[in-house]
Amino acid sequence: MFELKPMLSALWRNKVSALLIALQLALTLAIVSNATAIVKERMEKVARPTGMDVENIIAITFMPVPQDYDMAGAVTADLDMMRSMSGVVDASVTNQVPVSGSGSASGYYLEPNAQIGDIDSNYYQTDPHFINTLGIKLIAGRNFKPEEMGVFGSHENYQSNVIIVTRQFADEAFPEGNALGKFLYYGNDDKPMEIIGIVERHLGAWPSWTLAGNVVFHPLLIEGNHKRYLVRTEPGQRDAIFKQLEDKLAERDPQRVIHLETLSENLARTYVGDNLMVKVLATVMTLLTFIVALGIVGLTIFWINQRTKQIGIRRALGATRTNISRYFLVENALIAGTGLVMGTASALIINRLMVSEFSQPVLTLPMLAVCAVILLAVSLAAALVPAMRAANISPATATRSV
Amino acid sequence: MIGYYISLAMRSLRGTPILSALMIAAIAVGVGTSMTSLTLNYMMSQNALAHKDDVLYAVQLDSWDPNQAYSRSHNEIPYQLTYQDATALLRSDIPTRQVAMHRFGFTVTMEDAEVRPFTAETRVTTRDFFALFDVPMLYGNTWSKEADTTPVQAVVLSKAINEKLFGGENSVGKTVTLNGEPFTVTGVIDYWNPSPKVYDLNNNPFSDSEEIYIPFGLHRKLEIYSWGNNNGWNSPDTGIEGYEGHLQSESVWLQFWVELDNEAQKEKYEEFLTGYIRQQKEQGRFQRPLKFVLNKPSEWLVLNQVLKDDDRVLAWGSLAFLLVCVLNAVALLLAKFLRKAPEAGVRRALGASRKAIFTQHLIESSCIGVLGGLLGIALALLGLGGVRILAMGNIDRIASMDWIMMMAAVGLAILASLLAGLYPAWRISRTNPSVYLKTQ
Repeated sequence: MFELKPMLSALWRNKVSALLIALQLALTLAIVSNATAIVKERMEKVARPTGMDVENIIAITFMPVPQDYDMAGAVTADLDMMRSMSGVVDASVTNQVPVSGSGSASGYYLEPNAQIGDIDSNYYQTDPHFINTLGIKLIAGRNFKPEEMGVFGSHENYQSNVIIVTRQFADEAFPEGNALGKFLYYGNDDKPMEIIGIVERHLGAWPSWTLAGNVVFHPLLIEGNHKRYLVRTEPGQRDAIFKQLEDKLAERDPQRVIHLETLSENLARTYVGDNLMVKVLATVMTLLTFIVALGIVGLTIFWINQRTKQIGIRRALGATRTNISRYFLVENALIAGTGLVMGTASALIINRLMVSEFSQPVLTLPMLAVCAVILLAVSLAAALVPAMRAANISPATATRSV
Repeated sequence: MIGYYISLAMRSLRGTPILSALMIAAIAVGVGTSMTSLTLNYMMSQNALAHKDDVLYAVQLDSWDPNQAYSRSHNEIPYQLTYQDATALLRSDIPTRQVAMHRFGFTVTMEDAEVRPFTAETRVTTRDFFALFDVPMLYGNTWSKEADTTPVQAVVLSKAINEKLFGGENSVGKTVTLNGEPFTVTGVIDYWNPSPKVYDLNNNPFSDSEEIYIPFGLHRKLEIYSWGNNNGWNSPDTGIEGYEGHLQSESVWLQFWVELDNEAQKEKYEEFLTGYIRQQKEQGRFQRPLKFVLNKPSEWLVLNQVLKDDDRVLAWGSLAFLLVCVLNAVALLLAKFLRKAPEAGVRRALGASRKAIFTQHLIESSCIGVLGGLLGIALALLGLGGVRILAMGNIDRIASMDWIMMMAAVGLAILASLLAGLYPAWRISRTNPSVYLKTQ
C-alpha cells in the first residue's frame, strides 16, 4: 500500500539529491546530539546548588593605604557598623570570596605528622557569623564561639583548634559518617583541629574544580594587607544596601581602597564559559535544524514541480489526495530514516573523539534516540506542507498538457 | 564573456527569489558561524612574542614534592619557581637578559583629596622586563641594576596610569604614593597590551597588562606576597619564621624568563641549570628526578592551554555546521540547475561547449557565494558582538575581526559556494541536448 517499488525507482533517479538530504540529516544528528550532551552537562553544572543565599550577598574587598594599619580594629569596627545597618541580616569577615575563582586550598591529614594521604580541600578563614551570613545550613554539631576566634599577624604560625566542614568533605574524610568530634592535622604537624560542626554544602571558590564542595572553615583573622567582608541583606534590599555600603565604609575610614561586588556577579563570572557554551551551542542547534528543514522544503517543492504531470495522471487514474500526500511523506521518511541511521553511527564515532580528545561528556543512547526522533519529526513536518500542496494538483493538469 | 555570465547569473537568481534567498542564507549562516568561532580561535592563538620565539624561554624547574608529581600543570612541573631558586638563577650571567616576576597590587593615593585612593595592578619584576619583552618606552627608562637586589623605591608607569596621575606629561623624576610610601618614577611605557598575556598565563590569559611596575629588590622591605597563584606542598619545616620563612619556603610563585641568543648560549645555560639542581640535591632539595624545561613562547602558550578544549569543540562544530550548509546549497543548486536543463540543452544545441555551460553555472554559484560571504561577515560580526556580551567583558579584545579574518571570511564563502556549485555545474554541462530538443 505504500507504493514502495515505484517510490524506490523514482528515488534512484534522484539518488544524488536524496543522498544529499540524507547526508545533511546525518551530520545534523551527529552535531545536535553531541551538542545536546554538552549543553545538558553544562546546564546541570550551572544549576548545582551553591549552598548559599547568593542573591542577597554583597562581597567587599578593602585594602588600607598605610603600611602600619590596625587591621583587627578596623574589621571589628566595620563589622559592628554593617551589622547595625537596617536591611542587613548579618556580616562576616573572610579571606576569600566564595564562587569568585580566587581561593585557598590545603591538604588535611587524618594522622599527626603525616606526609602522604591528605584530603585536599578549599578553606576559609572566617568568624562565627559566617553561617548566618552565607545562609548555609548547620546539619550537625555547633557553630564557632566568639572566644574560639584566633587573631594572628600574617607572619605568625597560625592554626585554629576547631573547624567546621561541609558534609561532602566530612563523608570523604570519614566514610563511616562519624566525622563530628574527630581530629584533622596539617602535614608534618601534630596540632589537632577538632571538627565541631558540619554544614550541608558550600560550593567553595572554584565551582569547576574536581573537588568543588570540599570546604573547611577556620575561626581565624589573619592581618594581611587586605581583607574581605560578606554582607547578607534582607531579600530585595541588596542593591539599596550596596549603594549605602561604599559611602559608609569610606566615611568610617577613608584611608583605604574599597571594592564591592555582588555574589551573583561573581557566580555569573565563574560560569561565564559554561553559559557561553550553552548559548552558542543552542543557537547552532536551532539554526542547523532550521536550515536543514528549509532545505527539505525546497527540495520537496522542486520534486513535486518536476512530477506535476505524473501526479495529475495518478489523480486522473483514481489516486486520492491522501495517496498523493502520503507518497511524498513516505518518500521523505525513507530518506530521513537512511540519514538518521548514518547519523547515529557518526554521532557515536564523533562522541568517542569528543570524550577522548576534548574531555566532553559521553552521549547516552536515550539522548541520541530523542534527538533522532525530533529530527525525524522536523523532517516530516518540513515535507508536510509541500506534500499537502501536491495533493491539490488537479487531475486536469495531466490531460491538459499532453 | 564573464560579464555576460554574471548578468545571466543575476537574472537567474532573480528568477527564483525564494530558492536563491535560501541558498544565500545557508552559505551566510554557515560562513557567519564558522568565522565567529575561527576568529575566536585565531585571536586566542596569537603569540605576541613570535618575533622572539627563538630566543626567549620560560623556565620550569621540578622542585616539587618527592612523594607526588605536580598535578596542576600539563607536564607535571610547576609553572612557577620558588623565591630561593629565582634569586639563585638571577645570579647567573649566562643569559643576555633574565626576568623574575609576579603579580601584585598597590593602593595609589593622590595629593588631590577629591580622588579616592584606588588599587593598581602591579608587576614586581627585575629591570630586564621591558627590554626582554620589547615593551616600548615613552619616557625615561627602567630602574638601576641595584634595584633588583636592594630596596629602591622606583616605579615605571603605564601610559594610561601616567595620564590619570600626571595628565600624560613626562613624569620621570616625580613621586607616586604607593601603599603610603613614596616611589620615584623612572620611566613611562607606551601602550602595550599583548593578548593572550603570554608573559604571565597564570590567571586570566586575556586580562590587561599591569598598570605599574616596581623593582624586584623590594620584597623584604615591603613584605610583598604574590597576588597571583601561590602553590605549596607539604615540605619539611625550614624553622625560619615570618616573612623570611615565606621567601625560603618551597612555595612556587615567581615566573622566570631568560633570553638566550644562540644554541651555544642555550647549552651553556642548560649545563648551568643541571649543575644548580645537582648542587641543590646535595643539600636535600629537588628530590624528584632531575627535570627542567626551557619553553619557547609558542610552546608556553600550548602548555598553558590558552586555547581551551571548549574553543576547539566550537571550531570543529562550526566547520561541521558549514559542511551541512554546503550540502544544503549543493542540493538546492542541483535542483535549480536541473530545472533549467532545457535552457542549457538549447544553448548546447546552438553550439555552446560543455566548458562554457560549466563556467556559466559555476559563475552563478560563485555569485551566491559572494553574496552569502558578505552577509556571512555581517553575521560573524553580530556573532562576535554576542560572544563579547556573553563573555562579560573577558575577551573584548579577542572577539574582534582583523582584516586577515575578513579576507578569510570572503575566501571561505567563495570556496564553500564553489564546492557547492562544482557538482551541479558539472552535472548540467553533461546534459544531452537532444533530449530537451525533442520535448520542446
